[in-house]
Amino acid sequence: MDNLNPQIYLINTPTTKQEIVKYLVSNICTGTALNQEEVFKAIIKREQGISTTLESGLSIPHARLEGLTSFRAVVAVIPQGIQDNYGKNIKVMFLFLSPSGVQYFPEHLKLLAKLAETFTTAFIDELCTLKTTKEIAAKLPF
Amino acid sequence: MNEDTTNAQNKSKVKSVVVISTAMLTFITFWKAAAIVLCDFGSSAFYAGGIAYNAFGPAFPWYILGVSFFSGLLLMMYLESCSMFTRSGVFPVVSAGLGEKAAQLAASALLFDMALTGPISGLSAGNYLIGLINSTLAILKINFSMNPEIFSMVFAAAVVIYFWYQNVKGTEDSSEKSAEIIKLSLIICAILFLWSAITLALRGTVKLPPLKPQLTKEAMGWAVNIPFMQKVGYIGVLIALGHSVLALSGLETLAQVFRELEYPKIQNLKKTSMIIFVFAVVFTGGLTFLAALIIPPADIAKYSDNLISGLAMSLKGPTFLKLLLQAAVVFAGGLMLCGAVNTSIIGANGTMNRIAESGILTDWFRKIHKKYGTTYHIINTICLTQLLVIFLSRGHVYLIGQAYAFGVLWSFVFEMVSIVVLRFKNREQKREFMMPFNIKFDHFYIPIGAGFVGFIVVALAGINLLTKKIATISGVSFGLILFTIFYISGRLNAKKANIMFEEGPREKLNETQVPELNKAFENLPYKENILVTVKNADNLYHLEKVLTDLKDSEINIIVLYVRPLENWNAGKDRAGTSVDYKELFTQVILKAENFGRPVHPIMVNSNDFFAAAAQVAFAAKAQKIVMGVSGTYGANEQMEYMVMAWAALPEKYKITAEILWPGREVSFKF
Repeated sequence: MDNLNPQIYLINTPTTKQEIVKYLVSNICTGTALNQEEVFKAIIKREQGISTTLESGLSIPHARLEGLTSFRAVVAVIPQGIQDNYGKNIKVMFLFLSPSGVQYFPEHLKLLAKLAETFTTAFIDELCTLKTTKEIAAKLPF
Repeated sequence: MNEDTTNAQNKSKVKSVVVISTAMLTFITFWKAAAIVLCDFGSSAFYAGGIAYNAFGPAFPWYILGVSFFSGLLLMMYLESCSMFTRSGVFPVVSAGLGEKAAQLAASALLFDMALTGPISGLSAGNYLIGLINSTLAILKINFSMNPEIFSMVFAAAVVIYFWYQNVKGTEDSSEKSAEIIKLSLIICAILFLWSAITLALRGTVKLPPLKPQLTKEAMGWAVNIPFMQKVGYIGVLIALGHSVLALSGLETLAQVFRELEYPKIQNLKKTSMIIFVFAVVFTGGLTFLAALIIPPADIAKYSDNLISGLAMSLKGPTFLKLLLQAAVVFAGGLMLCGAVNTSIIGANGTMNRIAESGILTDWFRKIHKKYGTTYHIINTICLTQLLVIFLSRGHVYLIGQAYAFGVLWSFVFEMVSIVVLRFKNREQKREFMMPFNIKFDHFYIPIGAGFVGFIVVALAGINLLTKKIATISGVSFGLILFTIFYISGRLNAKKANIMFEEGPREKLNETQVPELNKAFENLPYKENILVTVKNADNLYHLEKVLTDLKDSEINIIVLYVRPLENWNAGKDRAGTSVDYKELFTQVILKAENFGRPVHPIMVNSNDFFAAAAQVAFAAKAQKIVMGVSGTYGANEQMEYMVMAWAALPEKYKITAEILWPGREVSFKF
């Protein structure tokens, strides 16, 4: 999990949650056999369940996909914040895909736990003050 | 930290922590349950023999011993009824078996029994006390004696008034005191047995009392005009048993105490019943028999109101020691009899509350005391009735004894017949215990044993109707008055009764707001905790599973409901998402009661269920969070968010989360 090496994006233009998800999905699928449309649908389906946004400002859109054999992730830092459907202010979006096999589910849960533990309100506030993706990458423990 | 961050942190914090409690969240051991029953049931040992002696002469110990053995069969019938209904007793069992009208009649009979139990026990305690005082005065050669009737009347009234006050205040758990009283009674019983054995050995010969009852004209009642009933054969035996049956009063307490019995309930009820049976045979039957063997025949009439004192004073030995033993008998007997007064008030209040729960009684009866939260109108009515009986009897225990058996027997008749009827009516209902001697035919267990017990009580009740004039007249009058009250009250309350029927009975919940989460767990009895979240009264499978599977009884089960709010500041419920928490917790408490395991309900306000559950689990230092599966989301999604919510806490430790639903579970330690 420590070798996740997520691609990092700094988003400074006003936009919506859906647009950012779409943008991140297109990037995470680049150079893979993954179908961009299907991945987007799987993530939105999961988002329609229990919201993946925490009070700290971290949103974790994710999906468990068949055929995947390893975890893949991308991160977007949104210093100005965007509102989700439940009125929560999203400042960091960590989008990841995990293999759907039962044996991967404990790892999947561990990643969620690690994200919730790492991205505290203070840590997110600190990330939002950084000016480049390089500076952000240096701070992330992945 | 900016404004958004502060708002986010405030939003995730749980608000308004409410600890829910009811009288029914603690459970007692089989020994304490037996002690509570025996304080009522066993106390009849102090007066049943004397009353039976007055009715049919020296044969009385055989019949008291006979009904003591018969109590074993009745206890088995109670075991079957309790295995069907956790909130057992005459009213629910007869309601299910014979319908509500029959249940009202049965409850009227039981309430008649309870209305007399207080006075007869109080008067009997007074008789024992005045007997001791007069014996002491006579030994000290002080030429003064008090009128036993007036003394007993004043004493009994004082006891009823004392327990009226205690019950209005809401008596604390009395099982500890009951256990102490029974221990003391057993010690005195052992001394009496030993000393009696020595006395009989010193006398050399033992003359057994006659088997044939000598029925007085009064004991025959209306049957004196029926020629074939005057021949003392089987009918005479039944008449004598009918006069002895008051020794069985108080068995109903077993059904009332069952809901308080700890896990495993039925196994513990079997142990409770065994203790009660042995006590009935040895204490009630045995001591009455010894009294008949040892008290000189010429003195039995003198001691008929305090027979066990008579036994103590008739033993061979120094007068001083005998007086000391009599004082011990009076002390233990007094405590037991006074305990029976209290049990009769508690029992009558419980029965009236069961009736009220079905919507028959008007709000006037159900009125809750503003300060103490007790149903004080019901308690006042019971105690006033008991005081009236004490003054009408003018202190004569025998007079009440004549009326007493009516309520005992007719409540048995309704209950035993209902248990037999339920074998056919509710043949699919699970019974952890079934009265023995059954013939399996198709889907039925034809109840030969239960039918036999039912037949005996019906026969005894029928005979008593003819022979016990006072009992029949007073019992029927009292029953009719109560039945009329139920009828009128039921009509006045008809609309509300329908609503209550649809909603089901609600548990009386005490809601205590605590300033912070930690305070909610300060008084939990054990160190280890499990948190069980609940949301839907119809989806408590996971709670049942925890109550069934938990091996270690020294773990607190905290049951959490997270009440969603739309607007923190206004504190308004979010429409459509908040459930009826009173109904939810009523079902939670019923489940705990069914298993005999305590739970600790708590309710917090939060719009984030998982964050609230994590905070509560952390504050309680719970080792495990158990959830039911959501009807809207999948178990995996629930687990994902639970994991995130726990990880988001500023401080944490390793915890296990479980999501349980029939046949499956998802578990994760993180």
